[in-house]
Amino acid sequence: MTAPLAAYEGIVGAAVVTQLRMLGEKLAGLRIVHVNSTREGGGVAEILEWMTPLMRDLGLDARWEVIHGDARFFEITKAIHNGLQGKPVNLSARDWRIHKDVNEQNMERLRPALVDADIVVIHDPQPAALLGLCPERKGKWIWRAHIDISRPFRPVWKFLRGLVGKYDASVFHMAEFAQPLPHPRFLIPPSIDPLSEKNRDLSPEELESVRGEFGLDPSRPLLVQVSRFDRFKDPVGVVEAYRLVRKVAPVQLVLAGGRATDDPEGKAVLDDVMEAVDGDPDVHVLLLPPDSHKTVNALQRLADIILQKSTREGFGLTVTEGLWKGKPVIGGDVGGIRLQVANRHTGFLVNTPEGAAHRIRYLLHHRDRIRQMGETGREFVRENFLLTRHLRDGLTMILALRSGSNARTLYV
Amino acid sequence: MTPFEIKDCILLVRMSNLLPAVNLRELRDRLAVCDENVLYHHFCETPLRAIFDAPDYRNDFAVWVYQYLGDRALAERLGILDPYDFASFEELRSVVLDILDERLSELPMVPWARPGDEFCFKQATTVVFDTGERIADPRELAPAIRAMTNGSVYYHFLEARRRPPVGTDDFSAWLSQGGETCGGYVKALGTIDYYFHSMVHLRADILHALAEAENGP
Repeated sequence: MTAPLAAYEGIVGAAVVTQLRMLGEKLAGLRIVHVNSTREGGGVAEILEWMTPLMRDLGLDARWEVIHGDARFFEITKAIHNGLQGKPVNLSARDWRIHKDVNEQNMERLRPALVDADIVVIHDPQPAALLGLCPERKGKWIWRAHIDISRPFRPVWKFLRGLVGKYDASVFHMAEFAQPLPHPRFLIPPSIDPLSEKNRDLSPEELESVRGEFGLDPSRPLLVQVSRFDRFKDPVGVVEAYRLVRKVAPVQLVLAGGRATDDPEGKAVLDDVMEAVDGDPDVHVLLLPPDSHKTVNALQRLADIILQKSTREGFGLTVTEGLWKGKPVIGGDVGGIRLQVANRHTGFLVNTPEGAAHRIRYLLHHRDRIRQMGETGREFVRENFLLTRHLRDGLTMILALRSGSNARTLYV
Repeated sequence: MTPFEIKDCILLVRMSNLLPAVNLRELRDRLAVCDENVLYHHFCETPLRAIFDAPDYRNDFAVWVYQYLGDRALAERLGILDPYDFASFEELRSVVLDILDERLSELPMVPWARPGDEFCFKQATTVVFDTGERIADPRELAPAIRAMTNGSVYYHFLEARRRPPVGTDDFSAWLSQGGETCGGYVKALGTIDYYFHSMVHLRADILHALAEAENGP
């Protein structure tokens, strides 16, 4: 349940909320429809869960629609997703036909909402074919990419480009994630909700409860990495870094991720992690259910240092979460981590387990720097990566698109 | 004095149509033909972007050259350029190209960035709106600035310098209407070394300058 906009005033300041209200006044009554492929789970659903009610709070007529499909459709869209991120996948003409057919079925259901909408935002590739099926559309259509498509498997991008190139605009998290397209490509980084269960302040009792649940020693430093068990998150490299630090400091490590029951690759990575851990009682490998938001929140708050030692990363919102909790982050020098971790200011960028170990040891020897970096990081997130900034950018883009102007300065 | 109208602005950033530059020569060649708004964005609009508040250099070209080409000397030469010192962006472009050409002639080989580290050219639309708030008395200016968004401070103190009267911030232009009585404020604002500041520091410096003008140093 998203808090009303007024609840954020105490965090971001009155001026920011007033600014949003003014933007809302300019767009009052505008019909906006967001379309994605799932109402639960995943980053896109998390964003739409707060964005839709907050847009309504600002006076817009915002709604959120979800496309439906069978298991085969979602296997195909998973392959498209992997292909866009560079993995070679085999998609036949029949697969693309199924993709279109499912979009067609959904179009029949959604047509009344989409035809008259002033703005339609299609999220990710699953519903991307809807635009081509709605020739009578009246509003502006925007394609929102939530993944890094900078180095796609070309056959997949070639097909998808034919679909998304017809939109009025597209949106990417970062310039480095984009592809050339024949329309304006806006850059809007993602954000976190500071009042969500994953990020809200927790009481000392709540923190102690989680500490006790996992048997963490309050007298020793704690390192935490929260991420699924995926080779690109390099959990084995994190264990190696821990071992290098453990020789000289009595640290504890938590690796917290989701269960890997239906993911053969995830299971293999987890096996590798357990082998690397080799029964060390100070390494806690936690397989958490998907709704463990409060537990993740507590672990990040109990940490002295947050790790995100990825070798490939999207934006890396776990980094944003860690910074918001006032912790320095030691992160891999990739993707959106680079945008958030500024060496010596909010943490350190590293390339190897040795580099991570070196920086952990540095911070453990300079406890005052942990506090300073934590404070800097929290303010950095407050200014740039909370949902109020995300909402502001989205509304501004709509204003600009509706104006039809290409001028450098737009007076509204 | 006519009341000061507080405006607010939001930067809407988008990709330019230029392909990313993978090496120093491509950077030079793209800069030679890019739209003026691309130059403006990478030199002047960085304080309002969602990036870390205190980079070593204020313009993106110097940051890229330093971080991804590893050329510290070139980063220093580009990093010291103050775009507000130039009468036009064409003049600034010409100086930047001179610096890049000189560096290319000094180097035995063209430095390249790794895949994923290319320079992506961007530009932005500044969306401006009236907040409806007004300042009637110069003594109300400091409290109003304290409560403004970063967008308002940027629009009135930095972006203003591109609008007539060119080279002057909106606060000074308004205070100048007050004649002698406001001369101290205008003089104090004129001492701020604004280009190399983050928004947080710029706001603090403006408030400090106004306080000194009000109460004496």
